[in-house]
Amino acid sequence: MSGHVKNMYPQLSISQAARTLLSLLLVAAIDSVNAGVACRNQQCRSPIQRSSKLTRLIHMESVDLLKIYKASQGDMSELFCQMPNDIVPDPNISGLDPSERMLSIYSHCKAFLPHLKRVTEQQRDLQPPSSPLLNNLTTAQYRTSGLANQINCIYQTLFPNLPIPLEPVDGRTSIYPSQNVFQQKVYGCVVLKNFKELLSQITHELRTIKNQMCKSRTFAYTNALF
Amino acid sequence: MEGIMDKSSYRLLQLLSLAWLACRPTCSSIATYGTIIPQSPLVEIGKEFTATCVLYKAAKATAEDIFWMLKNVTVPKEQYTKINDSAVSVTITITNETANWLFCKKKGSPSSLNLIQVIHGIILTKGYPPEKPMNLSCMAVQSGRRISSNVTCTWQPGTRDERLKTTYTLFGNLIVSNKSSNAHRSSGYIDFGTFPSFMELAMWVEVENKLGKVRSDILDIYASDLVKTNPPSDVNIISENNFSRTILVSWKHPIHVTYVTLKYNIRFCTVGSGEWTEVPPNDTESYKESFRLQYLKPDTEYVVQVRCMHHMGNGYWSDWSANTTARTPEDKPTSKPDLWRVVIPSQVKSERRVQVMCKDPVESNGRIRGYSIKIQDGNWETVAVNDSDLDSRSQERKIIPLYQIPWSDKRRGLIELKAWNSVGESPQASLVIPKLTEEPPSVESLSWFTQEGRLWVKWQPPNVIATGEPYRSEVTEYVLECVSVSDGAMDWQREHRHTRTAAIKGNLQKFIRYNISVYPMYSGWTGKPLTIAAFLEQGAPLEGPSVKVRRRGKNYAELEWMEIPLDKQRGFITNYTIFFITGGKEHSIVVSTDTYSYTVKRMASNSKYVVRVMASTVQGSTNSSDLSFNTLMYTPGQIEVIVVSVCISFLFSVVLTVLCIYKMDSIKKKIWPPVPDPSNSTIAKWSPDFPSKADTPKESALGDVSIAEVDVFDRKSLCEEDKAGLPLKKDKYLSEEHSSGIGGSSCLSSPHQSVSDSDEGGDEGQTTASTVQYSSVVASCGYKGQTPCPLPQSGSSQMPSFARSESTQPLLDSEEHPEGPGSHQRYLRNPYFGRLPGRNDSHSGDLEDLNQMEMKKQGLASRQFCPLEEDFQQTTPTEECQSPDGQPGSDPSYMPQLSGYRPQC
Repeated sequence: MSGHVKNMYPQLSISQAARTLLSLLLVAAIDSVNAGVACRNQQCRSPIQRSSKLTRLIHMESVDLLKIYKASQGDMSELFCQMPNDIVPDPNISGLDPSERMLSIYSHCKAFLPHLKRVTEQQRDLQPPSSPLLNNLTTAQYRTSGLANQINCIYQTLFPNLPIPLEPVDGRTSIYPSQNVFQQKVYGCVVLKNFKELLSQITHELRTIKNQMCKSRTFAYTNALF
Repeated sequence: MEGIMDKSSYRLLQLLSLAWLACRPTCSSIATYGTIIPQSPLVEIGKEFTATCVLYKAAKATAEDIFWMLKNVTVPKEQYTKINDSAVSVTITITNETANWLFCKKKGSPSSLNLIQVIHGIILTKGYPPEKPMNLSCMAVQSGRRISSNVTCTWQPGTRDERLKTTYTLFGNLIVSNKSSNAHRSSGYIDFGTFPSFMELAMWVEVENKLGKVRSDILDIYASDLVKTNPPSDVNIISENNFSRTILVSWKHPIHVTYVTLKYNIRFCTVGSGEWTEVPPNDTESYKESFRLQYLKPDTEYVVQVRCMHHMGNGYWSDWSANTTARTPEDKPTSKPDLWRVVIPSQVKSERRVQVMCKDPVESNGRIRGYSIKIQDGNWETVAVNDSDLDSRSQERKIIPLYQIPWSDKRRGLIELKAWNSVGESPQASLVIPKLTEEPPSVESLSWFTQEGRLWVKWQPPNVIATGEPYRSEVTEYVLECVSVSDGAMDWQREHRHTRTAAIKGNLQKFIRYNISVYPMYSGWTGKPLTIAAFLEQGAPLEGPSVKVRRRGKNYAELEWMEIPLDKQRGFITNYTIFFITGGKEHSIVVSTDTYSYTVKRMASNSKYVVRVMASTVQGSTNSSDLSFNTLMYTPGQIEVIVVSVCISFLFSVVLTVLCIYKMDSIKKKIWPPVPDPSNSTIAKWSPDFPSKADTPKESALGDVSIAEVDVFDRKSLCEEDKAGLPLKKDKYLSEEHSSGIGGSSCLSSPHQSVSDSDEGGDEGQTTASTVQYSSVVASCGYKGQTPCPLPQSGSSQMPSFARSESTQPLLDSEEHPEGPGSHQRYLRNPYFGRLPGRNDSHSGDLEDLNQMEMKKQGLASRQFCPLEEDFQQTTPTEECQSPDGQPGSDPSYMPQLSGYRPQC
C-alpha cells in the first residue's frame, strides 16, 4: 500500500500537511479495527516463533490437562470423551492461503475461550477448590487468550490491509444449553480433546506459515506492504 | 447615656478579656484578627512558597502593621507584597533549614498588653516530590516444573530523604491482563496467576506522595527473558578406565523445553584447588544433557558443576549445581622425576658424601610406587616407596631421599633415575656429579629481595667462555636450593636458563633465616653454587645476647657476649649497643656486628654498674638481661704494693726491736752512764749495821733501792718473789721508762715510798731499819709522764740530779708531807692506800714518834723490791710504788736529809 501511495504522490499533489493528516487517520482507523490489541513487534520470525513456542506449550499442557480431567472425572471417563457433542467447535484449521489460515487460527482460539471458560465454571462446581484441574483450566484460558492476541498481532503484521472480523468466524458459542452433570463431563472432555487437537494443528500451521512467510526479511517486508 | 455606654463597654471589654484569658490555651482567638492562605500547606524543598495574610476588621490594623515570622525569625520586608490594605503576601524559599511555623503578626497598639500580636499561623509540611526509580529489573524463578507466576522486580529508589509518606506500586501489563501491587521502596512482585510464557510484558513502578507522582521507565520484555530456572538436576560424572584424561558429565534439564530452551555452562577444578576452569560456552550452547571433559590429568579428582539459562542468553543464569566429584584413571608418568643431590662434607680427607634425593614427576599420573636408580656403570636398583611415605593425592611434592653414598673428590659420576607407577615408567632423569676440581663455574652474582610477601632472588649468569670442558659451556637451567637454618629443611626448584629473577616457592616462614643457593646446570652437570642468606621478613631478635664480664678493674670492665643463635636472630644483626648504667645515668656505645667483646673504660672505681647489650636488626632491637657488677677499689698491683709495704714495715719493726733488746746494754750505757753502786763501796762495809759481805748481793740490791711491793690482797710483797729477776727488770725499766735513778728504778727515787713501805713491813724488818740508805733521783720533770715536780729547793738546776742520804733517822713529819694533806688527795686512787691519810690526820701528834719507830722497823721491810710486772708499766710509777698513804715520791721531802742522819757510806 505504501508503494501505491508513493505512486500517487505526484498525481494527487496534496500538501504535506494533508498527507500527514491522512496517514494519522489511517492509523487511527486500523487501531479502531484492532481495538484492545497492542502489537509492539513488527518483525516476522520472532513473533511467529514465539507464538509457535506458546502453542507447543499450551499443547503440552493441554495433553496434561486432558489426562488430569479424565483422572478427575471418576469412572467411565473414557466413555465421556468418546461421545459426540455438537456445540464444541471443530478443531480443524481452514483456509487456502496463509492469511485465511492465520485468521482461522485466530478465530478458533477465540472460539474455544468461552468453552474453556464454561468447562472451568462447571468443574468448579464438580471439583474441590484445590483440584489442579481448575488451575490448569485457568492456565489454558490464560495462555489461549495470549495466543489469540499474538496471532492477531502477527496477522496485522503480515497482512496489515486485511481486516480482522470483530466476531469469531465460528460464532456458535453464544448459545449454551443447560447440561446435567453427565453432559457437563462429556462436554468438558470433548472441549479439551478438541482443544488439544486444535493446538496440534496450530502448531503445524504456524510452522508452515513461518516457513512460507518468513524466509527472508524482504519477503516479509513486501508482504507487510501489501 | 454616655455614662451607660461607657459602663457597658467597660463590662463587655472586661468579659471579652476574661473569655480570652480563659480560653487562650485552647481557643484560637487570634484567628479572629485574620487568616493565612493557604492553610497547612505542603511545600516543596527548594521551591518558593507564597502565603497571604488577610486581616479582619477586628484586627484594627492595616497592611502596614503586618509582618511575617518564621518561628522566631522575622522575614525581611523585601519579601512582602502588599495586595491591599488588609492583605499582605510573603514569598519564601523553602529549604531544609526553614522553620516549620510561619506566623502573620501585627504591631499592637501602645495601650494593649502585648505590643506584638499574632494574627495567624500555619505549619509548613516540607518535603520532596518522589524521585524516579531507576534500573528496574524483574525475574521469575522456577517453581516446581513450571515458572512461578510471581514476577519479582527490583529497582533503585531515589537518594533523597523521603520526608513525606511515599507509596510504591509495581505494574505489570500483559496483552491479556493488567496487574499491579503495592511494593516496598526498592522491590516488589506481581502475581500473574500464570506465568505469561512467550508473552510480551510491560513492567514499571510508580512512586507517589502528596507532592506528586512519578513513573519509572517501562520495562518492555518478553516474559521468557525474566526466567531463572533451577540448576540442572542429577549431575553425574562417569570415569572410564581407558580414557585417563577425560570424564563424561551428564545431567537432566531442570524444566521442560516447552517452557524454556536452555543452554548450559560447565566448570571443573581439581579437588582443593578452587581454581575453576570453564568449558568454552560455545561447546555447551546446544540443548543437551551430557558433555565429555577432555585434556584432564590422570589420577586426579575433579569437581564439576553445571548451570543453565535461556538458550538465547535472555534471562538469568541458574545457580551452579551442587559439587559432583570423580577421579580420572591412572596413566604412566609422562615427565621425569626431579633428581637432585646434596653434598655433605666428610671427615675423611678427599672424600664427600652425596645424598641423592628426588621428587615425584610433575606429571606422575598416578601414585608413584617406586624408583629405579643407577649410579654410573652400576645396575639399576629399585627403591620402593611405601604408601605412608607419599601421598600422591596431596598437592605438595615431597622430597624422597634415595641414597647416601661416599663420593671421592676425584670421582666423576652419572646418576640416572626413573619413577614408576602401576601403569608404567617415567622418562629418565640424569645428574652428573663432577670431580671437585672440574666443577662448572657458579653464577656471577646473587642478591635477594622481598616483594608482595614473597622472597625473590636475582642472579647474573656465569661468564662461561671456556670450551673443551667435559660439560657443555651453556647453562641449560638453574636450580635454586633453599635451606632453612633453623630446622635444616630444604627444598629446591628449577628455573629456565633465561630466568634471572625467581620467587622462592614453598611455604617460607617469616623471621627464619634461609640459605639460598643458585646452581647453574650444564646439561645435567651441577655447577658451583653461590649462596646467600635471606629472610622473607625480618624482625627484632628473639632474645638478646648473653653478656658476661670477662675482666674488670678499677676503671674499666671488659664485657663479652656470645652471638645470638641464628634461629633466634630473626634478621641480620646490624649492630650491638652496650648500655651501662651507674648512679642513675645511662651511657651507650654502639659497636659493629662482628664485635663480641668490648672494654668499657673511664669507669668510676668501686662503683656498681648495670650493663646490658642490645642487638638490633632493621626491624627492631632486643636487650639482653641486665648484668650488675662492681668495679674494683684498687688496681691489682696496688694491693700488692700495700701488702708488701706493710710487711716490710712490720719486719723492720721486729728487727729493730730485736736489735734493741740485744743491744740494750750498750744503749743503756749510752743513755744512762754507769753510776757507782754504793752498796759495793767500802763505806758500806764500814757501817756497823751492815750485814756481812756474804750477803752483799742481796743487800747491795736493796741497799741503794728502797722499794716495797705490797700485794693488795695477801699482803705479800711481790718484791720478794722477784728478787732473782731484779737485775733484768732494772734494765727493763731503764730502757723502756727512761727513768733515772740509782738502780734504774723509779721506785728507787722515792724515799717516801720507802718509808711507806716500812710502814707496812715495819714489824718484820725493824732490825735493819737503821741500815736503810736513802737515795733519790731528782728529776726536773714528771716520772713516766707525770706532771713535772720541780724541786722546791733546787730550782736552779733542771737536770736530774742524784742525791743520797746517809741518815738512818726517821723522817720528820714535815719532811714526809711537805705538801700537806692536799697532796694525799691527788693520789687517792688505791682504796688500800686511801685510809692512811685519815689516820695520819687523827694522830698527827703521835705521828713523829710513830714514824720514828716504824722507820726503825723498816730495816727489813724496806728492802723488798718493787714489782716490775707488765701491768704496772701501764700505770704511773707513783701509783705502783707510792707509799701506802698515797703520797708520791716527792723529792723535796728528802732534801732535808741531805745533811742529816748518819752517813751511809
